[in-house]
Amino acid sequence: MSNSRSLLRAVLLLSLAPALLGLPAQGHAADNKVVVVTSFPKDLTGKFKSEFEKRNPNVQVEILNKSTSSGLKYVQETAKNNTSDIFWASAPDAFEVLKGDGLLKKYTPKVTGIPEKVGAYPINDPDGYYIGFAAAGYGIMWNTRYIKAKNLKPAKEWMDLAKPEYHGHVGMSAPSRSGTTHLTVETLLQGEGWDKGWAQWKELAGNFKTVTERSFGVPDGVNSGDFGFGIVIDFFGLSSQATGFPVEFVYPTVTTLVPANVGILKNAPHPQAAEAFVEFLLSPEGQATLLDPKIRRLPVNPATYSKAPAGFPNPFKDKSIGAAVKFDVDLSKRRYNVVNSLFDVMVTYRLDDLKAAVRAIQDAEAAAARKPNNAKVAALIKEARGLVAATPVTEAQAADPKFSSIFKKRRRKKTDVVPQRQAEVEEQWDAFVTKNYAQARAKAEQALSLAR
Amino acid sequence: MNAHWGQRVAALLIAAFLLLFLVIPVVQVIFVAFQAPATGAFTLVNFQDFFNTSLFREAFWNSLYVAVMSVLVATLFAMPLAYFTTRFEFRGAIIVQTLGIIPLIMPPFVGAVAMQLLFGTNGSINLLLEEWFGINIPFMEGLNGVIFVESIHYFPFILINLSAALNNIDRAMEESAQNLGASGIRLFRRIVFPLAMPGYVAGASIVFLKVFDDLGTPLLLNVNTLLAPQAYLRISSIGITDPMGYVISVILVLFSLFAMWIAALALRGKDYGTEQRGGGGLAKRRMRPWEGILSYGVIGLILLLVLSPHIGLTLLSFGTIWSFSVLPDGYTITHYLEVFEQSPQFVTNTVLYASLAALIDVTIGTAIAYLALRTKIIGRKWLDYTAMAALAVPGVVLGIGYLRTFLGVHLPWSGEPLSNWWVMLVIALSVRRLPYALRACTAALQQLSVALEEAAENLGAGKLTTVRRIVVPLMVGGILAGFVTSFATAAVELSTTIMLVSRESDAPLAYGLYVFMQTAAGRGPGAALGIIAVVIVGVAAYLSHRVIERGHKARGLADEY
Amino acid sequence: MTEHTGMARKHAAGVSIENVNLYYGKNHVLKDVSLVIEPGEFFTFLGPSGCGKTTLLRLIAGFGNAKSGRVRIGGNDVTALPPWKRDVGMVFQSYALWPHMSVRRNVAFGLEERRLPKPEIRRRVDAVLELVGLSELAERRPSQLSGGQQQRVALARTVVVEPQVLLLDEPLSNLDAKLRVQMRQELLELQRKLALTTIFVTHDQEEANTTADRIAVMDAGVVQQVGTPAELYDKPANRFVASFLGIANILDGQLARENGTAVFHSKSGISVPLSASQIPDRATGESCSIMFRPQSVATQPAAAPDSRAGVTMNGVVRHREFLGNLIRYAVTVGESVILVDDAHKPNQPSFSVGTEVRLSLATAQVVVLTG
Repeated sequence: MSNSRSLLRAVLLLSLAPALLGLPAQGHAADNKVVVVTSFPKDLTGKFKSEFEKRNPNVQVEILNKSTSSGLKYVQETAKNNTSDIFWASAPDAFEVLKGDGLLKKYTPKVTGIPEKVGAYPINDPDGYYIGFAAAGYGIMWNTRYIKAKNLKPAKEWMDLAKPEYHGHVGMSAPSRSGTTHLTVETLLQGEGWDKGWAQWKELAGNFKTVTERSFGVPDGVNSGDFGFGIVIDFFGLSSQATGFPVEFVYPTVTTLVPANVGILKNAPHPQAAEAFVEFLLSPEGQATLLDPKIRRLPVNPATYSKAPAGFPNPFKDKSIGAAVKFDVDLSKRRYNVVNSLFDVMVTYRLDDLKAAVRAIQDAEAAAARKPNNAKVAALIKEARGLVAATPVTEAQAADPKFSSIFKKRRRKKTDVVPQRQAEVEEQWDAFVTKNYAQARAKAEQALSLAR
Repeated sequence: MNAHWGQRVAALLIAAFLLLFLVIPVVQVIFVAFQAPATGAFTLVNFQDFFNTSLFREAFWNSLYVAVMSVLVATLFAMPLAYFTTRFEFRGAIIVQTLGIIPLIMPPFVGAVAMQLLFGTNGSINLLLEEWFGINIPFMEGLNGVIFVESIHYFPFILINLSAALNNIDRAMEESAQNLGASGIRLFRRIVFPLAMPGYVAGASIVFLKVFDDLGTPLLLNVNTLLAPQAYLRISSIGITDPMGYVISVILVLFSLFAMWIAALALRGKDYGTEQRGGGGLAKRRMRPWEGILSYGVIGLILLLVLSPHIGLTLLSFGTIWSFSVLPDGYTITHYLEVFEQSPQFVTNTVLYASLAALIDVTIGTAIAYLALRTKIIGRKWLDYTAMAALAVPGVVLGIGYLRTFLGVHLPWSGEPLSNWWVMLVIALSVRRLPYALRACTAALQQLSVALEEAAENLGAGKLTTVRRIVVPLMVGGILAGFVTSFATAAVELSTTIMLVSRESDAPLAYGLYVFMQTAAGRGPGAALGIIAVVIVGVAAYLSHRVIERGHKARGLADEY
Repeated sequence: MTEHTGMARKHAAGVSIENVNLYYGKNHVLKDVSLVIEPGEFFTFLGPSGCGKTTLLRLIAGFGNAKSGRVRIGGNDVTALPPWKRDVGMVFQSYALWPHMSVRRNVAFGLEERRLPKPEIRRRVDAVLELVGLSELAERRPSQLSGGQQQRVALARTVVVEPQVLLLDEPLSNLDAKLRVQMRQELLELQRKLALTTIFVTHDQEEANTTADRIAVMDAGVVQQVGTPAELYDKPANRFVASFLGIANILDGQLARENGTAVFHSKSGISVPLSASQIPDRATGESCSIMFRPQSVATQPAAAPDSRAGVTMNGVVRHREFLGNLIRYAVTVGESVILVDDAHKPNQPSFSVGTEVRLSLATAQVVVLTG
């Protein structure tokens, strides 16, 4: 008995020791630290932290790593008693939300030499609330061992991935989960138009193996060989490659280069350190840090590219990257939530139905190709494609502020009235797409049996 | 019997603790579910929407299906392990039992990563199967994958409870059946298993609840047509505040409470332990050689399967590049060096938080058990129910609740919000794990004869002295078991942690794991940290095991025959 | 009776145990035990706790492994058979009623395991429940029954399968005193009705004496003596049997043969002449003991004339116990303490503590102990 009790005591003492000795300092001396809420991986934040601290020995960088969405939630929930200084993440839309909530502080950087735009996208927030420090574009990464084993060719354009041979080999994140994925979806919608854009997305999604919950899930999947192709942001592909994974990355023609951003939070407890941190990100040293093999993001200062390794993409020189689409930021903002929600309803949550329908269409088409000139078969296939492509919302409706207010985060005033509930709308969409997918599959199967 | 003043104070303190750290935060979150999105007025329309939405109905049935199937598969894993080790003279029974508990101390989302590498479509097993037989088995696809990972992770709950129940069966119960002609499977099916049923149901209901509420595994496997991921996705999506997330949370809590109630009903009047007089546990039989080979084979296979996440994680932590191949390309220790270099505080924080949380749990657990079983204080049962209800609260909900409730309260010495203080993380962990400790303490106290306390009181000891000198020392086995379970599971808790960590220097291992896993540059360091977590918790569990055993021997509880 | 119960009587089987040795670890629990139990006999293993009697009973039922020796039931060697193939019925001390089954299901269990047709099971269960008087309670759970009722269920569950041998492991120990007497009579009646070979384990000599045809007294893993209750009481083979069955006065001393008669001289100085028939075949001059029961000694006031036969001696009453039908005195004679029972009748004078009394021992009732 006494043995066990004294052991218990010893365990307790041991476990308390760090509490007694190593309590985090609670002092409040002016700007001896800067608290950064970020969604960036440790590979990136760790490097910048040490580089910054090397140059500012009196300031400690406190990194708070959260996914973009939970980081955003955290900043929102803690706004009343803000303890964080900086929000640092890729997705411009997260910054838009913060800006909309009045949680960001205006800041104009002192660094010079950074152009206004990268590709077709403005680097900084025109209102001055957040600042781009690196650029990134979406592209396709693939696992070379995987495609060799499965006898596939590398896909260079988005719609290559919609070909039947890629069925079940593609992975992507959901736009509602990853701000940059949202930009990819939106880019294609703007580049190809609302209806054709959605039709293409659904054809493509019909070849998905999975829709990952986190954007990191895509490079993970490609790196480990869970699926062969991933629709990812460039630095995932580039840094995976730099680490030694057997992967390659390419920008398709239709892509948008978007800046990764940093913003100072309103009522930041350490405003001077926060400004110093932002200035460091934009400084030549900070920009050069982006070229680290584990980071591999595109600097926004064109001068930095002179230090880049051979083959590193340079959007300021190679104008083909991210220039095909003139990205309309306003339009994107207006229908932001509608697009996310629509993608989830049509693709994420009904992926199995969609895949089954698309697979059936692909089979029917293959059969029809062997036995051409059957008008009935062709008509059925066309009908099936039309059913898959159909979108329950028109472009005009999606951009209608009244409609998109259904998906708005919260009512601002007591008098705000929202016409419908999101759940109601989504249920209508869901009924629409599940019915269409089922019918499309039936028609395609009918076509297949006719073509045989 | 009038309640002693000390008992009343204890009851009030616990009630305050539960109210402040469980009830209020949860209510803070879920009241959104009852607000009309259009006007903010009280309404039930959101619940109507829930049941009108086919996706949610589907998610509900999927969750139910996954939970039930996970219980069944977990039973398949647990039953042979529990049966062979308690029923036969089995060399290495302790090792088997210990290894059988290890899956519990692996954060499920990390386990899923390792399982994906081994059992995924292009994981090691399928690559081999494809090479040898040209087949591919979809272990990890869709709901199957969730069931697979969850049942491996949570089956120890059934193993622990079932083993304990089997050990508690009066051996005469079995012998009398043998005497009347029953043997083998029939004996097990008709007598042994029904008698162990209460233990089995207790374990199975925990597995059911955990799986039903679990978020990490389905998210990592990208399965989102389940209730918990639907709630999470809707609560945490950027820019969207869909009340449905909160509605689903309420549904999760209510359904979990309902399931607990059903389990309690099923167990009513079936507490056979107290009716059995002889004691001594099942008679252990010596196995015939072929039986031995067969059972070692079965157990070996099960252990290999349930430990596969650890095997996969170990490979990952030492591997250089592991891509579309059966094994990593090469091996290195740099991942471990990186972890030790960059973040030693994860380890110390985890030991500190988890042991404090577990300490709170066994303290409150012992107190509630004592109040519920030994006093007539009004509301004692409610303390028990409320504490157990924590089992039904998803971690995300609790995390958000803490932010909402404690952000406005400031620490007097630093002016920091209370919710940013690391102690709140400890409290959140303790609330999450309280049910485990409470059940262990209750079981320990139930086995204790009231006469022992009455004897102490008869000799002049007051209530407090009796509790301190008689009750607690005799419960020490159960208390330590509760401590270990709480400690082990708190050490790997993520969902609450991720919401409440306000600086990296305060962060525990699970958070570090999450961070290290979020990189395209390979998950080696994350895996290394995972292995470190498993080792720490494993060592702590083993030490406590030793202490429990020594306590048993000291009190001469070892069976004579 | 069997017509009444509907049970077909089997031929009762005997049990023989041959040179059984059994160990628990290093503990030698049964030492070369041999016994023969006749068919239809009510046989009792009697002994203090830890003597090995339950172990021996369990061995007959097939629980536990003997290191050597055989067990035969009805002439067949069952040593290697598992419990479920032995066809012996055992009633456990704790009854071991399965709490998850009703009384009826408990009782039907053995018949179901024997794969009997349902109607027959029903008929036999009804009959046996009737026999033990529990027909009304058939649907109850064991936890809803009193101790005596549980006992009957345990018995019914065992006899319903008509085992060759009925084994009872202290079946009455969990009952209160009054119920115990009643149950043991019921038990005996049932045994007679069914003509079952029955082995009964108890540590209670009264229980053993009132039920058993024969008793095996056991101590320390050894069978000390086998015999009818009267044989054991009147002619105990050794000191253990003498003192375990009833109250015994035991004196240690020397046996001296003198001119064809023998005289026992106790260490405390008491001499008892013994007839030849009382003396076992042993050499004289050896140390030995004699035993006599308290009722073999009569008391008189010390001053009374020496009128009785046998050995007389004077002593002082140190204690007296009033036991209702008799008064038991502890009398010191020299260095020995001798227990004496006097029949008690109302209004009859008795001796108080400190009184000097004269004791007279009926020497014909003295037994010389050999071990």
